[in-house]
Amino acid sequence: MDDSTLQVYVILFVMITVVLVYSARYFLARRARRLSQGRAPGFRRLSGWLGEAIEAGRPLHLSFGSAGIDRENAAVAAAEAELFYHIIKAAGSGDVAPVISTSSSATVPLCQDTIRRAWDGEDRRARAQWFPGGARSMAFAAGLTATMGVEEPSAHILAGSFGPELALILDSADRQGQGSFAVSDQLEGQAIAFAMADEVLIGEQLFSAAAWLSHESTARADASVQDIWRGLLIALMAVLVLINVAGQLGIASWSLVVVAALALAFIGVVIVRRR
Amino acid sequence: MSRSQRLGIAFSAFIAFAVGVITTLSLLLGGRPELYADFAGAPVFARLMSLPAAIMVRLVAITAAVTIVIGISNLLYVHMGRVVRGAFFSIVMIASFALTIWWYWSKQGDTSLLAAVQVPIESALAALLFLSMVQGGARVLAKRADIWGALFVTVLVVVLLGSLPIESLAPVRAWSDWLMEIPVSAGARAILLGIALGTVVTGVRVLLGQDRSYRG
Repeated sequence: MDDSTLQVYVILFVMITVVLVYSARYFLARRARRLSQGRAPGFRRLSGWLGEAIEAGRPLHLSFGSAGIDRENAAVAAAEAELFYHIIKAAGSGDVAPVISTSSSATVPLCQDTIRRAWDGEDRRARAQWFPGGARSMAFAAGLTATMGVEEPSAHILAGSFGPELALILDSADRQGQGSFAVSDQLEGQAIAFAMADEVLIGEQLFSAAAWLSHESTARADASVQDIWRGLLIALMAVLVLINVAGQLGIASWSLVVVAALALAFIGVVIVRRR
Repeated sequence: MSRSQRLGIAFSAFIAFAVGVITTLSLLLGGRPELYADFAGAPVFARLMSLPAAIMVRLVAITAAVTIVIGISNLLYVHMGRVVRGAFFSIVMIASFALTIWWYWSKQGDTSLLAAVQVPIESALAALLFLSMVQGGARVLAKRADIWGALFVTVLVVVLLGSLPIESLAPVRAWSDWLMEIPVSAGARAILLGIALGTVVTGVRVLLGQDRSYRG
């Protein structure tokens, strides 16, 4: 496929996504429903942490990691700002403002903006905190673990872009008996989050996490567009695999391929129903 | 919300939408004369189409450079507040900051202080990271006492054993290689594909001026 054809496909993909986003918002606005937090993956302990923060007068710590609005992972920063907004709103009746940290200086205004929108209390300016990242983000991890000792947060919501340095942060949180929720757009950070965090989200859940906490139908609509694309992608890959298998086994195997396709479709329906 | 505030929100959303759409179209359609093969002035038109994206990318680069000042101001503001409350490490941080500025200024751009302090400390932290990761791996089953936790630990052990340079572990190495090439690679691609889809949907939301930042 040459570059020009690829370019046309990219334009089509973006345009179809725009149409899907508007359509989903139009249809879902009529039957806005909040997803049950009990079923939300990764959020089982969140309400406990929020309650603990309010009762003990301790802050929540939320972190973007190195996700920056001036970098290629700007969408991660935008999605997590939305998630943090809903979490801070949920913790709104506490006495101590939450702390938001980042290692991207361009994200500092986004941190301040998120706190300003979601938190009504005083003491908001010093709650967005920047730690220089350094070449391997080790300085960021060191600064963050030092802050944990000073601020004594009840829990850490680490959602953004984290690499191996996440192990230091989660290890420190664990030793201090603080809860942790983690998800990263980097594979190394994601693996460490799975192994070491109390609660974890995986992959694209990073972008749909806000929909689980939001009362707004628009967040749910955006998450459903993501689901549609993912379903189409899985179906396309399954069809290509089946055609390939059929080609290798010969024309007599078409009935076998049809049975396999039906089995795959059944598994897909079961998974969707369970979600 | 007052009428002027609503107008302000609508205006900022419109600006975001206009700039977003123009830049996206410029990135997708600019600099490619072959897309307008039938048009006589294709090279000039393609160059003109790429202009808005080039301007915006430069503006972003300049703004990103300026934000380092915001970061440093934030760092100093936060630690000054802690110094008032008597936080020892914040005093050390501000003293180090002042010393580094003074060193750089008086030694005419010498960065040896950075090499002598920052690099060894980061290397030590990287070594400490190894211990944290091993400890975390050992605690997986305590955190996730389910089939996925057990699978995680099994794969971890097989890959670690497979990486040992011991001849008698050759069959384990074959398993380790297969794990890394097929299931791990497939899982990694699945995660990256999901992240790419999420990036597109979030990008479109921002592009359409629907992000919370534009909603006042």
